[in-house]
Amino acid sequence: MSEMRQRWRLIFSRDDDARFLAHLDAVHLWERAFRRGDIPVATTEGHSPRPRLIFAAPLPLGMMAERELADLFLSERLSRADLQARLGNGMPRGYNLMDLHDVWVGAPALATQLVAADYRLTLLGADRAVLEGVVAALLRAPELRREKHREKKAIAYDLRPLVLDLQVRNAPDASADAVLGMAEPAADLWMRLRHSQDLGSGRPEEVVAAIADQLGMALLGPIGSGTAEPDRPAGREPVLPAEIEADRPALEIVRPVRERLWLSDELAL
Amino acid sequence: MISTHHADPTAPRSPLGGPHHAPPPLSPLAVERILGRIHRPARYAGGEWNSVQKDWAQVALKWCLAYPDLYEIGMSNLGLRILYEVLNDRPDRLAERCFAPDVDLQAALRGERLPLWGLETKRALREFDVLGVSLGYELTYTNLLDMLDLGGVGLTTEERSEDDPLVVAGGSSVLNPEPVSDYLDAVVLGEGEEAVLEMSDALERIGWPRRPGPAGEWRRGVARADALQALARIPGVYVPSLYRPSYNQDGSFARLESLVEGAPPLIAGRIAADFETRVNGIRQVVPNIAIVFDRAQLEVMRGCTRGCRFCQAGMYYRPVRERAPEVAIAAAQSILDATGYEEIGLTSLSTADYSHVGEVARTLHRLRPECTVSLPSTRVDAFSVELVDAISTRGRRGGFTFAPEAGSQRMRDIINKGVSDEEITRCAELAFRRGWSALKLYFMIGLPGETIGDVLAIAEICRRVLGVGRRYHGGRAQVKANISTFVPKVATPFMWSGQDTTAEIEAKVAALRGAMRGRGLELRWSEPNSSLLEAALGRGDRRLNAVVRRAWRNGARFDGWDDHFDYQTWLEAFEADGLAPTWYAQRDIPLDEALPWDHLSSGVTREFLAQDYQRALSGETVADCHWGPCYNCGVPAATGFACQTGEQGPRGMLVRAGAAGAGDGTGPAKARESHWRYIGPPGDRRRHEPAQGSDASVAAAVRADTVTGREMESKDAGLSAPGVLPSLASPVVAAGDESTG
Repeated sequence: MSEMRQRWRLIFSRDDDARFLAHLDAVHLWERAFRRGDIPVATTEGHSPRPRLIFAAPLPLGMMAERELADLFLSERLSRADLQARLGNGMPRGYNLMDLHDVWVGAPALATQLVAADYRLTLLGADRAVLEGVVAALLRAPELRREKHREKKAIAYDLRPLVLDLQVRNAPDASADAVLGMAEPAADLWMRLRHSQDLGSGRPEEVVAAIADQLGMALLGPIGSGTAEPDRPAGREPVLPAEIEADRPALEIVRPVRERLWLSDELAL
Repeated sequence: MISTHHADPTAPRSPLGGPHHAPPPLSPLAVERILGRIHRPARYAGGEWNSVQKDWAQVALKWCLAYPDLYEIGMSNLGLRILYEVLNDRPDRLAERCFAPDVDLQAALRGERLPLWGLETKRALREFDVLGVSLGYELTYTNLLDMLDLGGVGLTTEERSEDDPLVVAGGSSVLNPEPVSDYLDAVVLGEGEEAVLEMSDALERIGWPRRPGPAGEWRRGVARADALQALARIPGVYVPSLYRPSYNQDGSFARLESLVEGAPPLIAGRIAADFETRVNGIRQVVPNIAIVFDRAQLEVMRGCTRGCRFCQAGMYYRPVRERAPEVAIAAAQSILDATGYEEIGLTSLSTADYSHVGEVARTLHRLRPECTVSLPSTRVDAFSVELVDAISTRGRRGGFTFAPEAGSQRMRDIINKGVSDEEITRCAELAFRRGWSALKLYFMIGLPGETIGDVLAIAEICRRVLGVGRRYHGGRAQVKANISTFVPKVATPFMWSGQDTTAEIEAKVAALRGAMRGRGLELRWSEPNSSLLEAALGRGDRRLNAVVRRAWRNGARFDGWDDHFDYQTWLEAFEADGLAPTWYAQRDIPLDEALPWDHLSSGVTREFLAQDYQRALSGETVADCHWGPCYNCGVPAATGFACQTGEQGPRGMLVRAGAAGAGDGTGPAKARESHWRYIGPPGDRRRHEPAQGSDASVAAAVRADTVTGREMESKDAGLSAPGVLPSLASPVVAAGDESTG
């Protein structure tokens, strides 16, 4: 273990080039970037010490991000300009450093300060009017029973208190539409989901799954359909899109983005 | 009129007359929707550190390096890392990558009618000028066909349109590319570093890249047939369509006939110049997901002097060349800087034989204490165990791996694996003493001349080794034997030797299982039918093109993966043409019979291989080229390289071991007499200590060696080089599963 002499809060985005990384792969990527930049990162205790880089919340595989937070602990003090230059030398492709702040080393962990996150994604397969109806009903409901799966066990929970806000917005604008060449109905969904130490964290794909259930549709997309999870045992029976669609029409998530994270001192709940 | 494909018509024209052909990439949304539905999408997404995205409009000639296996396998391949850099270093060339899509992506691409793409800029394979295919394993052939089909490229030279790329193959399987010759426009024999650039230059000169025609459409400036003739003039390049085979009444191969003038009757492999001082593959692509060999790699030596008769790589990559230590150290640092990798493997066919291995590893540790160095391939000897042990800092990890390859001394003499029973025991003793409690031993069965006694000797060795382990670890000691079926490889002395039948293999495995029962012993063996297919395709002729295609049509994919391999599909594919895989794999080929791959040479002559096969059958060994006499394999004559080995002068002392103490006493007297033992100078850790006393005295001798702490630092320094070995203690950490071979 090395001493922690300085704590930098990194504010960064992740675009298309790095979005198909699982969280652990992303951590590995950052570690190599620190090595390339020759950055004196403090390490953890234990048999195999790891660099102290603590993320506010793991970014799911498939998701882009516009304003993520992570704390980097250094074993030697560096000036802001120096750290910025060293990071710039080796930043993994797809990650862009937007800003960094010097934070008190003893400040509480990022994850404990996190209270909410905003998400935006495009849905293919249902038009705006239909979605608005379902969303309104969902917001009116006093509770929303869902199941989450932990090591093969299904745990029932209420998703409703985790949804702080949910809105259907315009489909991607006309120019984007032309680029993407979309023929099917599309709409954007925006939501603010709670991240709570007690209640757990809201997941955007769960919200979309709830909508898909209401519509009698199957959920498809980079997040949530379960096929893209990196550590699914390498059994070679992936769920093929054709099989899903043959069963029910699909509600497909594309271009999911986490717009920003909210810390407790930024957002009162 | 210039095509409207170009986003920026004001882009500067390249000196070669650009802008060049730059078709639009696939729709990002279409790609995203596919990637969002499949397992491990990062395999197909690109964007890795050091991957190179070039502007197509600025580049005259575009390669896609296609590897017919999963990303995790292909990205571990050093050849791919080298050629990627060699091509991308040239401003007027580009190389993208493509790997075999797993079955989920295959289905998704077919379902969405989307073509397979190059990772860097997501353009369909058919848009490239050249597809460079790496063929290192026969059981990837169906994946090759699938990639061509998914990439929108015609399967055979004949079926390809004028627009389709040229499909060029390299790798160790191309020593006999005949079973897939229809699918390959050209083949590069030997080392590709220079050949890919020469081919690129020739293709650009004759006008292979697409140019805007009078009506604004993009077309190639030369017909495929003419391009192929131009390629055939490059040394080391073989163009299968310029030849036609004929067969005898009995089905055996008769001869290959040139169809055009200028098609050379014999094509010899390329040897890249300046291996000693020039290093390619510095800015290695760092994958975003874990791969099989997830570390930087520096090739410290090319080729191997040991002369194991089953080993194709050992025959193919001659002569042996070593990187100068200062070159290796500088290159290793550059690679670590350029990648950010935390581990670097010093690779070669036998890294413990690299003269400067100790110096390079020690220096790297001093300069980069935070990085680990691994030695992926070492030997069955004390030197290797000491080295691996010394560079291991992380506890006593999993297992230590040796590859004695055969159980009996007689058998090891036949295959020329220069390891004695005593060395195996001593090596095991050292490993157990240094804290490893599990040893993994690799063996082959079905070797030429093998008897059931030779097979059962595997069990004897394992029991003996286990006995040694018990003294150090009691009931925790474990010996795991991994048994594979011998596959005769072309361009080796054993290429004439038939493989055992599946029934024979199964009987041998059953006998071995019976003899290997007991606590602490474990036996694993591989699917014999997959080895049968590997041998059949490896020794096949052009008639197998149709078989491969039929098997692929009927669903064969990833045949090297046990969970995919379906022997029945292949058997039916052979039988549909009245052929049998057993005829190709299990037949002892007469030494005077013409072979379908006779026109392709690694530099080692057929005469040498035949002599060595006969030596093998009489149990006669050949010495390592480093210190033995020259056996005239033909490489120096064929290539103009002067070996820095053999008759250049002895690098250690050799004795012919007498009958006493040599072998297990079962082999013929001749074999025992001619069995070379390396003695080496005093202090050399590879020194062979005749086993006269008990195991304890061997251990004592080893300990004494260790305390003396001497090593023969450089073979060049010869007999009087023993310098005190500055402790190798913890310079580096070996790979998770340390291995010797």
